[in-house]
Amino acid sequence: MDDKNFNDIDININDYDIVLKIKDENDIAVSRQMAKSFAQKNNFSLADVTKIATAVSELSRNIYRYAKEGYIYIKKKETEPDKDVSIEIIAYDRGPGIENVEQAVAGGYTTSERSLGLGLSGIRRLIDSFYIKSEVGKGTVVMAEKRRRRF
Amino acid sequence: MKTKFTMVVPTIKLYDYLIVPIQIELDDLTIEKLQMQLLNEISEKKIRGIILDVSMVDVIDSYISFVLSETAAMAKAMGCHTVICKIQPQVALTLAQMGIKLKDVFTANSLEGAVDILNRLD
Repeated sequence: MDDKNFNDIDININDYDIVLKIKDENDIAVSRQMAKSFAQKNNFSLADVTKIATAVSELSRNIYRYAKEGYIYIKKKETEPDKDVSIEIIAYDRGPGIENVEQAVAGGYTTSERSLGLGLSGIRRLIDSFYIKSEVGKGTVVMAEKRRRRF
Repeated sequence: MKTKFTMVVPTIKLYDYLIVPIQIELDDLTIEKLQMQLLNEISEKKIRGIILDVSMVDVIDSYISFVLSETAAMAKAMGCHTVICKIQPQVALTLAQMGIKLKDVFTANSLEGAVDILNRLD
């Protein structure tokens, strides 16, 4: 597979623990389950596992619904062994792009009939850092990161 | 029993209430089928209250919430109330943080509580 390149983000797929192609409705549930077990395996708290799985579910649905197909990339990041562990999630598609990114991220706005319009704004509240890049006619990249809390 | 619709979740009829223990992964197609199943059951079995037990559901995202609220609104139009019971703490936390409100549904933290709510509504 070729490396994906979208504007200023370079995604080297070899760096990722999970690479998942989203192309049908069923892949949404698959991505959610994979994200859940990956977060569990990396000792995230139950609450954070749920937040990560929910965020991935929203991202996959956006890909399926608006772009028809795309990819979810998930990896574990750590600064030193056992220190500051986090999970990075990237959702990448070459779909129609989002016309008004600010509105979409603010929440309560949707171009779909059967939606609350709380997907992207919700993800932003569930995770620690969030980056979105979208260009009409080119596609959308969302990068989300969740740090592991230490108790 | 003859059914014209797909049963995705086996349900239990108790008086004119319908208990729906959701113990399967809720993908988009499944929740849409469940919506149709419940509407058909309300009409065929003359159900006046639905109790959705979601204690086994690990993830409720914005679309699942949307369909649950939509189903409750449809049920309401048919004279049937909906109670969602036993939402997992981490699921409640996630929903609240995302700013998702479950409209048109009552909530309870136990099956008994759900039955109590329905009894009080009659």
